[in-house]
Amino acid sequence: MRRLLIPILICGYINANDMLEYKCISCHKAQKIPSQMIYKKYLLRYSTKEDIAKAIKSYLKSPKAQNSIMPKPFFDKFPTKEPTTLEDAELEMLINLYIDRYDVVKRLRVKQ
Amino acid sequence: MLPSEKKSLIRFLIIYLSSTLLLFALSSWIFYTSSLQNIISNQQNRLKIESKHLLSKLRVLHQSNAPILYYPNSSEYKSAIYDKNKNYIFGTLNAPLQENLADRYITHIEKVEPYYLGAAYLMLRSKVDYSPIIELKKRVLLFMLLAIVVFGVLGYFLGRLFIKPMRDSIERLNSFIQDTTHELNTPISTILTNIELIETFDTNYQNKDELKRITIASKTLSRIYDDLSYLSLNHNYHRDIQRIDISALLFQRVEYVQAMANLKNITITTDIEQNIHIDIDKNDATRMIDNLLSNAIKYNKTGGDIKVSLQNKTLTIQDSGIGIAKDKLHIIKARFQRANSTEGGFGIGLDIVNQIVEFYGYGMSIESIEKIGTTIKVRLK
Repeated sequence: MRRLLIPILICGYINANDMLEYKCISCHKAQKIPSQMIYKKYLLRYSTKEDIAKAIKSYLKSPKAQNSIMPKPFFDKFPTKEPTTLEDAELEMLINLYIDRYDVVKRLRVKQ
Repeated sequence: MLPSEKKSLIRFLIIYLSSTLLLFALSSWIFYTSSLQNIISNQQNRLKIESKHLLSKLRVLHQSNAPILYYPNSSEYKSAIYDKNKNYIFGTLNAPLQENLADRYITHIEKVEPYYLGAAYLMLRSKVDYSPIIELKKRVLLFMLLAIVVFGVLGYFLGRLFIKPMRDSIERLNSFIQDTTHELNTPISTILTNIELIETFDTNYQNKDELKRITIASKTLSRIYDDLSYLSLNHNYHRDIQRIDISALLFQRVEYVQAMANLKNITITTDIEQNIHIDIDKNDATRMIDNLLSNAIKYNKTGGDIKVSLQNKTLTIQDSGIGIAKDKLHIIKARFQRANSTEGGFGIGLDIVNQIVEFYGYGMSIESIEKIGTTIKVRLK
């Protein structure tokens, strides 16, 4: 059972990452939207991952310039997206994947 | 320096030094605690400055897009960052956000705004640097030691200055006693020599009461002279300590005071163990026995009795005299203290006995019942 579970989980993670790539990042890349910088902006304002997730979800449900973390001139360069059509569960999963992808703590090391 | 002078000086120094040192200790303690607080506060300030430096490094890290971000590390302190819910994020210090851990640590918590790397709090902790505290302790200790020395010397000279009038008075009194005793020596010796001549050559001597009274008065005078000489020399004379037959001496001294006892119709009974030998200066032994016997006669009632015993090296002299009040028993051994003032004398007798007893390490006990009598026991060695 364990032999089966690990590949399933790995596949699931790969699929989820693919889904993030497909449903979010690919578009960001195409439009040259700086995903990492946006995450940093969220981090700078909200501190905890839970609050960041809530704020992103709230923005994606109602994507307006005034709801965004980004400054207004940002929307002069990049178009405002349409409200998400994704189900809550899927949306939350993708948000968590996004947060995990750009998590700075994972990159932190102590210089010996 | 006289013993009383030394005692007064020591008492003065104890009071002076203890009060001065108490004052110094109090001020030193206030100085120490405020300096300690300053040292800790300086170390805390240093940590606060470090937190500002660290904050700017966190800002740089936050802006960096490098795949690996190196968290600042320092040998002087450890640090960690916490989110706005005070949950640990990362750091060289793995501890919960807490202001005061223990006395040996200094902690500084800095609020982070905006939240670089998601950090709402930055905590720095370092060990207390004890070197300035040890230096401070050394300084306070040195100051106290110096104060003890300076004020000890000052107190000594001040004390001597204060007791100088007392010393002068005692010296004047001593020189007066010395001069007086010196002047008394010749006439007393003349009287006693002439009495001895009369005793030898006058066959009617035994029947002449007037001559007997002169003999007794002269012997009393001679004993007072001896006592005063003993005290005025302050016992600094050379003692010729040798093994003497105290039994024989006791017999001899009883015989010596017999005439004095007869005058008051006092019966002296003896129970003296023979051939008891002790190591003592003969003059001291005579002074001790004479004074005990003379007191027993002096404070006895007419027709009373005195029991003199020497058994197992314990000299006991029991009289049927006026006794000593209970409240005076503890001071009776001091100089110029008398059982009462009905009898003459200087009150130096028991003081001399006590000093001899103390010098030779004997034990002395006084039991007395007023109007019944007094028993003095001296345990010889």
